[in-house]
Formats: sequence, structure tokens, C-alpha cells
Amino acid sequence: MKQFGHIFSFELKYYFKSKVFIGITLFLVLLIAIVMFVPRLASGEDDDVDVSQLPPMLVKVDFETDPALASMVFSNFQSAFSDYRVLAAHDHMTKEDVSGMVANREVACAFVLDSLTSFTYYVDDLSMYDENSTVAATLLGNLYRMNVMLESGLSPEEIEEIMQTPIESHVEALGNDQTQNFFYTYIMLFALYVVILLYGQMTASSVASEKSSRAMELLITSAKPLNMMFGKVLAACTAGLVQLAAVFGSAFLFYNINKSYWEDNLMIRMIFDMPPSLLGYLLAFFLFGFLLYAFLYGAIGSTVSKLEELNSSCMPVTLLYVIATMTVIMNVAMGETNSTLIKVLSYVPFSSPLAMFARVAMSSVAWYEIAISFAILAASVVGVGVLSAKIYRVGVLLYGNRPTLKDIFKMIRRA
Amino acid sequence: MTLTLSAIEKSFGSKKVLTGVSFSAEGGKAFGLLGRNGAGKTTAIRILMDVFPADSGEVLLDGRPIDYRHVSLGYLPEERGLYPKKIIWEQLVYFAMLKGLTRADAIAAVDKWLARLGLSEYRNKKLDTLSKGNQQKIQLITALAHDPAIVVLDEPFSGLDPVNAMLLKDVVKEEIAKGKIVLFSSHQMNYIEEFCDSIAILNQGRVALTGDLHSIKRAYPRNRLFIRTENEAPLLSAFPEVCRKAPGGGLFFDLAAAVFRAWPPLPAAEDKSSVMTALAGRYDIDEIKVWEPSLNDIFVAYAGNDPMASGGTQ
Repeated sequence: MKQFGHIFSFELKYYFKSKVFIGITLFLVLLIAIVMFVPRLASGEDDDVDVSQLPPMLVKVDFETDPALASMVFSNFQSAFSDYRVLAAHDHMTKEDVSGMVANREVACAFVLDSLTSFTYYVDDLSMYDENSTVAATLLGNLYRMNVMLESGLSPEEIEEIMQTPIESHVEALGNDQTQNFFYTYIMLFALYVVILLYGQMTASSVASEKSSRAMELLITSAKPLNMMFGKVLAACTAGLVQLAAVFGSAFLFYNINKSYWEDNLMIRMIFDMPPSLLGYLLAFFLFGFLLYAFLYGAIGSTVSKLEELNSSCMPVTLLYVIATMTVIMNVAMGETNSTLIKVLSYVPFSSPLAMFARVAMSSVAWYEIAISFAILAASVVGVGVLSAKIYRVGVLLYGNRPTLKDIFKMIRRA
Repeated sequence: MTLTLSAIEKSFGSKKVLTGVSFSAEGGKAFGLLGRNGAGKTTAIRILMDVFPADSGEVLLDGRPIDYRHVSLGYLPEERGLYPKKIIWEQLVYFAMLKGLTRADAIAAVDKWLARLGLSEYRNKKLDTLSKGNQQKIQLITALAHDPAIVVLDEPFSGLDPVNAMLLKDVVKEEIAKGKIVLFSSHQMNYIEEFCDSIAILNQGRVALTGDLHSIKRAYPRNRLFIRTENEAPLLSAFPEVCRKAPGGGLFFDLAAAVFRAWPPLPAAEDKSSVMTALAGRYDIDEIKVWEPSLNDIFVAYAGNDPMASGGTQ
């Protein structure tokens, strides 16, 4: 146990001193900080927005109407398109003049209204996210209806009341609300995927480099293989947890500092509106999933004599993991967290950390289902751990040609 | 303190690596484990170091099965290697702690050994910035820092310059003087001959010869003379049946019946000193002595596949 402690702290120190570990963690925290502080910084500038810096938008009312309606149209455009500098076109300008100005980039875009129910939107390159046309249609539709109501004799107050009548609506999601959970489930699945893969492979390369540098010759005579394997894997696991905690922790911290600035952003709000119990599940699934794969990776690392061989040796496990993850993530993306496939995957130990986590996050799962999945996973971790330590014990002494799976199992039986 | 390997058997799959290997090493003396490449030395050492168990047989310390929890062993493997990219001092302390020292004791021991081997200036450097010889000295610290009762040194002198070899000799002599069991494995026979009181020669997984080196040498029949002379021709022509060139220079002179045919007759073959005096009087001889096999001769005789093929006298 003492020996395990020494190995664990030596390995953990290696992660915490590694420039890559520190670099990636700091980079992610910094990136999150920048993203989280953007609305605060942007809103600071809002106070003295320089209207002349906004892109110009030209609006031409190209039909006979009284000036009152024309100016109402114009002021409505101004308030609807606050991120543009809305300019009124001169009366003498033709449609061609307007389109020419857009083509020459004298204005960012332009609207030519043939009537309250018909308009043309001129823009140079139509962006995928350009919603100006939809906004204008809604705006003009409302103006048209108000105009008709005015003409039929209703007072402006009555019209306003009709237009503003709120519709009360209630949605009661009796299970989990997928629209809410989707974003954070996705982010967490992705984090699980990256961290398990990254630290699993780091475990493999750490074992393989000890072997290729022949430090193993000394290690195997100084420490028990079981201690070495568990010390290494748990150190990598702890490092991964610390990194996850640093990244998610700083995200929560920075979000809470800037919470008021994010109120308009539904997506970000939904991401951070995650139940704390889910974090518990994330932690548990990370721990078990990581251990399962890290043991496999560690065992593979022990069978490799040269670092160059490591990648190809790790391929089967990596492939298994990538396929499991992609299947789960694709099903989450399609909202199919209750499909038979996902249900099956949530019991198979190699995919259950991700699949069961997705199910817990996105749908309603009975407690005994989670318990069974956990039990299978935990039993597999123990089984794979013992098997890996056995492979490790014979693997570390093997030099020369890479053994095949058959060779390895033969050796384990003999050991 | 006596370390005994008793009837050790080990197979890897269908390949029998060790067959009935037995030998004993005494505390306060150095023991040489010899054998050609692939003779089973490393496997025997690994069984001794408890890396894997023997199929049968025992490792005994003072007649009782060795308890690895209470006996500390130090090992300098033939395949050298530590963590090339890590700070020397950190990894040395780590290895000493793995061997059971507390952190404070480990730090004290590592600093003492770095100073003893003249490596203190490299304390905070990465291992791969050092020369091969210095890396080897660093590795030696991993074998000795925890003050083990049994020290196993596999090819300790390979790659060392004469000055460092001298330093290592002193260190080894100190360890022996402390009453430790020092087990050498080497192909450099001169070092084994210098240090080791007892040896075991492994050949194809079996102990071909083991025992006290001095007794082994004395046990050889002492019926051959070794002669060194500038002028070999008269001797070779006078005694064509018994005199021949020795492999490493000089002449061998077998004290067989043939010597009596010389004229004037030589003294009886049993009276070696008279024969030597007579020969020295008749020929221009620089050195004449009763030939004793060197460890090299013994090794070649026992570790080679055919014991009769070489310079052995049996």
C-alpha cells in the first residue's frame, strides 16, 4: 500500500508538472473565461454605441401613402433593426439605384417596399443566418393589420390591446426535457469522450516509455506489478478529474460572475441550468469508464517494446471506444435516447458509461436500471483490472516482436 | 548470512531455462555468476529478485525461505535505463522510497551517494543530459541507496572508463566489507577474478561448476608448466611431444613421461621445482611456473559446449 502511494504520487506529480497538462488546462480555462466575459465586455461598450459605426441599411417606401404611415414604417424598421443604421431612401431614387448601392457596398442591405404586403430585400451575400427578411415580414404584417383595423374604425388603444393579448402556455415535461438537456448532455458526453481517450492513451504511452527506456528492468524488481498498474492508472484518473474539475469549475464560476449578462442567451442558460445530480453521475461514469479503458490501455502499453508500435497496438481499443461514443452521440443528436440500441449499449460495459449517462441526462431511467448498469460496469472494471495486471506482469518482460493476442493469453495462463 | 538457490527449475512454455540450479553466496564475500549469453543468468537473477516465481526449488537465506518483505535487495540490471526526461535527484529518491526508505532517509541517502560518486553537480539535471558513464553511476545509486543486504550487479563495469572503474571497485569493496552478499554477473573475467571468492558457471540452464574459486583452481591437475622466453625454438625442438605454444603467448610444458627422454635426463616429473630449476639452467627462460588455469580458461572450459575442446587440462 505504501508502495502504491509512492507510485501514485510520483506519477501524479509527473502530470501536474507536465507542460502539456498545465498548458491545456490553462488554455481551456482562459478560453472559457474569454467566452464567459464577452457579453459583459460587449455590454460595457453598449453605453456609448457609436451609431455611425453600424452597417447602413436603406429603406425605400415605394408606394403612395400618407407621410404619417411612411414615418411609422421607418421608425418601426429603426427599432426592429437596432444593429443597423437605418436610412430612408430619397424619393427620387429608383429600385435600380437602391440595388446598385447594395452591389457597390455603399449600404449593407436594403428594403424596397412595394406595399405593406410586398417588399424586396436586397443584400450582397445572403448569409445562412440572415433573418432580416423574416423580421421585416413580421413587422410589415403587424403594420398592415394595424392599418386595416385603424381604417375599420378601431381606436389605437383597442388595436394595441388586441395586438398585445398574451397567450398563456404551459409545458409540463413529466420526464426530462430534451430541449433543455441536449446542450449540456452533448458537452459532457464530449468531455467524457476526450478525457477518457486522452488519459487512457497517456497511461499506455507512460507504460510503454518505461519499457522502451528500460526503466522497467529496475521497476519490476522494485515494485509489485499490481501496485505499478494501479498507481499509474489512478494517477492518470486523478489528473483527468482535476482537469475536468478545473474546466467545468471555471466555466460555472465565470458564468455565475457574468450571469446577468447571459440572460438573453437561451442556449448558454440551458447549459448551466444543469441539475447537480447530473454532475455526480458524470463523475461516477467518468471514474468507472476511465478505469475500464485505462486498464486496457496500460496492459497494451506493457506489451509494446518500442514507442512507435504503440499507436497500432492501441488501435483496437481506441476503435471500440470511438465507435461506442459515436453511436451514443449520434443517437443523442437524433433525440433517440430511448431506442433499443441505446438501452442495450447502456448495459455493455464498454459503452455504458456514455450510453447510461446520456439516458440519465435525457430521459427517465429507473434507479434499478442505473444500479444494474453500474454493477456490470464495476464488475468489468475489477475483471479487466485483474486481467490487465496479469498481462502487465508478463508484458513488461517481453522485448522484441509484438506479441499477438493469442500469445498474450497463452502467457497469462502460464503465469 | 548465506543466500542459497536450491534446485531451481524454470520453464517458459516448452523451453526449459533453468534445470536444478543450486549455488550459495556468503555475506562479506563477492559471488560471481558466470555463463554465456542465454545461459539463464538473468532468469536466475529475476527469480532471486522475486520478479517471477520458480517452477520448483527455493531461494533460501540462512537456510530459511527468503522473506522479501524483510530483506532488501539492490539490483543493477544489465539493460540500463531510468527515466531519461526526469530530474535525476527526483527519480533516485523515488526508487529509494519504492525500496522502503522514508522520504527523509531517501533524500539523505541519495545526496550521500551523489557526493560519493562525484555527481552532486548533476543533482537537478535531467538524466539524458549526462554521459553514458555518468548515467551508469546514477543507475548504480538505485542499486545501493537503500543499503540493501543483497546486491546484484549485472555487468557493472561495462562502459566505464578506467578511473570510474576504479571508483566502482572501491565502492564494491566497501559493500563487501560491510558484510553484504554481493552477486556479480559479468563477462569481464578479470573483474570477477579480482573480486569474487566463489563462482557458479551456468551452461544451458544448468550449473556446470560452482564453488570456491581458489579451490577450483587448485583442483586442476598441477602437471603443466608455463614458460615465458624470448627464444622459444630450442625448447620446442628439444621437447616436441610436451612443449607447445600457449594460446595467450608463452609456452606450455606438460610434465608427462616424455620429459625423461631428454638428455641429460631431467629430474622426476613429480619434483616440479627441480624440473623448473633444471630447465631454467639449460635454457634462456624469463619466467617459469606451475600453470594454474585463469578464470577465463575455466569459463571457456565449462561454459563452452564441449568442456574438452579448449585449454582445460582435464
